[in-house]
Amino acid sequence: MNDVQGTILEIVGSLLERANKGDVEVTLDAPIHGDGLGLDSLETAELSALLEDEFGTDPFGAGLMPENISEIVAFYATVEGAGESALA
Amino acid sequence: MTQRPRTILITGGSRGLGAGIVQSFLDSGDRVATCSRTATDAVRAWEKDPDLEGRFLFQEADLADRAQASAFVRTVLDQWGSVDVLVNNAGIARDGVIALFSDEDSDAVIDLNLKATIHLTRLVVRNMLVHGGGRIINISSIVGLTGYRGLGVYSATKAALDGFSRALARELGSRKITVNSVAPGYLRTEMSHGLDEEQLNQIVRRTPAGRLGEPDDIARAIQFLVDERNDWLTGQVIVVDGGLTC
Repeated sequence: MNDVQGTILEIVGSLLERANKGDVEVTLDAPIHGDGLGLDSLETAELSALLEDEFGTDPFGAGLMPENISEIVAFYATVEGAGESALA
Repeated sequence: MTQRPRTILITGGSRGLGAGIVQSFLDSGDRVATCSRTATDAVRAWEKDPDLEGRFLFQEADLADRAQASAFVRTVLDQWGSVDVLVNNAGIARDGVIALFSDEDSDAVIDLNLKATIHLTRLVVRNMLVHGGGRIINISSIVGLTGYRGLGVYSATKAALDGFSRALARELGSRKITVNSVAPGYLRTEMSHGLDEEQLNQIVRRTPAGRLGEPDDIARAIQFLVDERNDWLTGQVIVVDGGLTC
């Protein structure tokens, strides 16, 4: 597991804890919505903001709609180091 | 929100109503960030006041420019970490009958009053979601409710802000974020300067309270709405107009 992947899993885990969904298992291929992590639209917005705070950019803000954690990790593999922020 | 100084972000706080709102929150001991296209004497006085050191932040920004608006929010978050209260006050009025109204004037009013407010609110709401709640106040106007001859576009943007408040109240209520509009009547500020003396006298005659409003009349209503105890008051338009529209 690389640092980015570990950080993303940590962020998702803390988000689920706050949403009282701490018993949900976080795996790379779990769908973000529905029967997977079960994030609703506001929780997805919160995830987007948390990722932006951590990495300076986020896939949702970039117009993408990743369906699982792997796709989020893949997004950062393509932009890592770019440092672009929606607030920059 | 009372365990630490609240961070209040007020757009367009360099003069008129906005300056009155800034002063009110500085007086209540909060941290206040504001912006406008240019600094004014009021801003320079706040910046120089040793009692306000670390509690007042000003940045020149044209909020109709999204990059400048984003940079302003970034500065506030870098400095203070989160925003507890957002007061969307920045706005402009251009008057003229609609049949002669220019596209440029329409764009200027809509770009600042509406599009800039939506953009800045989006940025701040992202922070409020992460930090567990907040208060949003949109400054609309009684002309958004009643209309006013020659202020069609301005009135449209203010009515739109009221709809924005109601929709966001529903959307964000579960996250401890309240959203309300405050609709001022006619104030003794620059924004009323488009009205001539006779128009202002006529307004005073029709106002039960018998006078034009002052910025502090509005600021007190805002202070009430953002009080942490008032978490069951959301999605409303609070008219503060001396009874003119009652």
